[in-house]
Amino acid sequence: MLALKSSRKNIFRNIAIFFAILGPGIITGSVDNDAGGITTYSVAGALYGYKLIWTLIPSFLVLIIIQEMNARMGIVTGKGLADLIRENAGVKITFVIFIGLLLADIGNTTTEFAGVAGSMEVFNVSKYISVPIAGFMVWVLVVKGTYKIAERIFLIFSVSLLMYVVSALMGKPHWSEIGTSIAHPHMEYNSAYLAMVLGIIGTTIAPWMQFYMQSSVIEKGLKMKDFKYTLIDIIIGCIATVVVAFFIIVACASTLHVNGVTINEAKDAAFALKPLAGNLASIVFSFGLFIASIFSATILPLATAFYVCEAFGFEAGIDKKWDEAPEFYFLYTAILVVSCIIIMIPKAPLIQITLWSQVLNGMLLPVVLVCMIMLVNNKKIMGVHVNKPIYNVIGWITIAILVALSTLMIVMPIFN
Amino acid sequence: MTAITTFYLSRVLGLKVYATDGKYLGKLNDLLIETGADGQFVGEPYRPRVMSARLIKNGEITCLDFKQFSVSKIKNRYSITCKDPRIVSDEESFDFLLLKANILDKQIVDLNGRKLVRVNDVRLVSVNDGTFAVAVDVGTEGLLRRIGIGRPLKFFFSLFNISIPSKFILWDDVEAVDYSNFNIKLGTTFKKLNTLHPSDLADIIEDLGTHSRAHVFSNLDEERAADVLEEMEPKSQVDIIENMPIDKAADVLEKMPANEAADILDMLEDERAELLLREMEAETSEDVRELLEYEDREVGSIMNTDFLAFAETDTVEKVLEVIRSEKPEVEVLYNIFIVNETGKLNASLSLRDLVISEPTVKLSAIMNKKHILVHDEDRLDSLAEIVSKYNLLSVPVVGKDNELLGMVVIDDIIEDLMGRRRTK
Repeated sequence: MLALKSSRKNIFRNIAIFFAILGPGIITGSVDNDAGGITTYSVAGALYGYKLIWTLIPSFLVLIIIQEMNARMGIVTGKGLADLIRENAGVKITFVIFIGLLLADIGNTTTEFAGVAGSMEVFNVSKYISVPIAGFMVWVLVVKGTYKIAERIFLIFSVSLLMYVVSALMGKPHWSEIGTSIAHPHMEYNSAYLAMVLGIIGTTIAPWMQFYMQSSVIEKGLKMKDFKYTLIDIIIGCIATVVVAFFIIVACASTLHVNGVTINEAKDAAFALKPLAGNLASIVFSFGLFIASIFSATILPLATAFYVCEAFGFEAGIDKKWDEAPEFYFLYTAILVVSCIIIMIPKAPLIQITLWSQVLNGMLLPVVLVCMIMLVNNKKIMGVHVNKPIYNVIGWITIAILVALSTLMIVMPIFN
Repeated sequence: MTAITTFYLSRVLGLKVYATDGKYLGKLNDLLIETGADGQFVGEPYRPRVMSARLIKNGEITCLDFKQFSVSKIKNRYSITCKDPRIVSDEESFDFLLLKANILDKQIVDLNGRKLVRVNDVRLVSVNDGTFAVAVDVGTEGLLRRIGIGRPLKFFFSLFNISIPSKFILWDDVEAVDYSNFNIKLGTTFKKLNTLHPSDLADIIEDLGTHSRAHVFSNLDEERAADVLEEMEPKSQVDIIENMPIDKAADVLEKMPANEAADILDMLEDERAELLLREMEAETSEDVRELLEYEDREVGSIMNTDFLAFAETDTVEKVLEVIRSEKPEVEVLYNIFIVNETGKLNASLSLRDLVISEPTVKLSAIMNKKHILVHDEDRLDSLAEIVSKYNLLSVPVVGKDNELLGMVVIDDIIEDLMGRRRTK
């Protein structure tokens, strides 16, 4: 009797498996396009036109490889990245990495609230009102545990970022120019340009996302035998990220760069949507920015508090009560509060803060990557699933390039 | 020198070790302790002895017998010396636990707290008789000490009269389970884990990494494994059963109540479920197959097929004899059922009524004919109300001809209620 059922089940089973496994890659890909991402790509397009588009291609490839490594590590070991680092790199190195991660993520959370403030300013709501309210709402949403539903709602709304695609196409981009700039990568050796490159990489491949991806994979209970589905999920997520990034840059290049408009505030970036939305561009843009910011503001600080606690052996998780996991709740609340306060400082340069936090991501990335490569090549941990040599080659080249970029960027001003 | 030296593992790792004649032997890489696999747990405080030391010299690893070693503290610095270096072979150290590789920075089971904690350091004591591991340090102070800012921070906070929390757990109250290497040393039985309630053990096993999970689970005896498996989340249940050899998995499933086994088998791929059913004992697998036939919202799907049934002419004494020899699980005892020759349910009897009666009394005198029952194809929704209204711990389930098929236990009804609320 079981045999009869199975043939009918097979077709549906494959589809069902795909949808059940779907998730970590796509969610991570969507969260990637947060306030930091939108801002960085917009500024890149406005300042440099099409010249920085080529950076998306190596970012895309590296992103897939890194996420694949995370997924593989998570499935094979059943342990989070923070756990693995703590168990194999010792406490001192763990301490340094996670303090760095914490600082970078406070920066990233600050960016999300900068997005909230910026988007609400379009409606003339002062940041002193919008930020505390948003911060409080997010805190309640997470601590009271209903954020999973919110996650799903945001995920649906994040599809709204596709409006950039339409707007970019309507702005009549110069495809031949785009093609040339990809084929002949443009490189300037000044701090500003290098920072921009680092920022784009840092916002596309944010370190905190590696931890998030590995934990999602474990939570979903995925298996190595279904790995090809996981890989498809990852590739789709990365494509989503990079496609949106590409069109944001193109849209801004065609509208802002062409007219010599620089982005000093969020509402300047709304100009990029004029071809699509006309006079409604600002409103449409603000809506998209707000959703993206709140989405990430719920996930990011939570993830950070979780991994930092995991690394240091403190209890963590929103399923635990306050007195069961005091360090976790304290850390989470502190991250939110500090970020909100930074944004509310009078005349805080929201755009600058945003860009520099993404650069910080780019600088922290090689450190996390080194740890990951060490772990994923360790036979004792991964058994037969260690890295194929090509992955290691790409990994080390990426690390070398990132370190070179960071060093150059820091050192350049000294020579000028 | 009758000295007692207490020290932390982190402070001695990496120290240079010299022989008493001044020869450099290498840097201390790890300490190996005995695992006490042979019934050390006899109510005496157990402190495992350090059996050997792993040294690295010029990239080469040697394992030396620790009997000849001595640890001393001179002027705030530790020094380790060896009287007579004797190499320990791999077979000799087969059963030993490596402190740095297997314990330090790994997760360990806190038996009193019934959860996993991370080891920040290990506290050892060195006396004339030898060196022993005493406790694990899982507190914040240990963490800070490892980072290297322990002393300055302690001093800083002491100015405000705030002390940094420290937490030690004695070796008796922990169990090392995290063997994340692939060189798993078999033969270590986790005796101390048996003191944990299956529910707590299930939670802990779920929190472990993939290898440790499989390792700990495969070391439980079948009865215990079945109890623990019952308490796990569905995803973990599937994970464990899929990674066990078929014969062992079948043994474990046999020891579970048939409806629980049916639930797990339902979640597996059909081929594997079929293999397991064939491997199981015929009687049990038949029960399970029947249960698999029921729809999800029918009473039959959460029915337990283990029950006690007697004839009304049986005496109280006979019932108690049967209970003593069968030793059923506790749910089976909530209510005892009385059936006629064809297996038709006539009456039921609670454990209370049984126990307060004289041994010679016949069941017909104390049984309750006005009993509540449900049919196997009834909807589950009705059950919660019935149980609550009539204050029942279990409800008998009958088939079309009122023949007794099994019973539904209050625990399963509550789980179902909670499960449904979660999906709403």
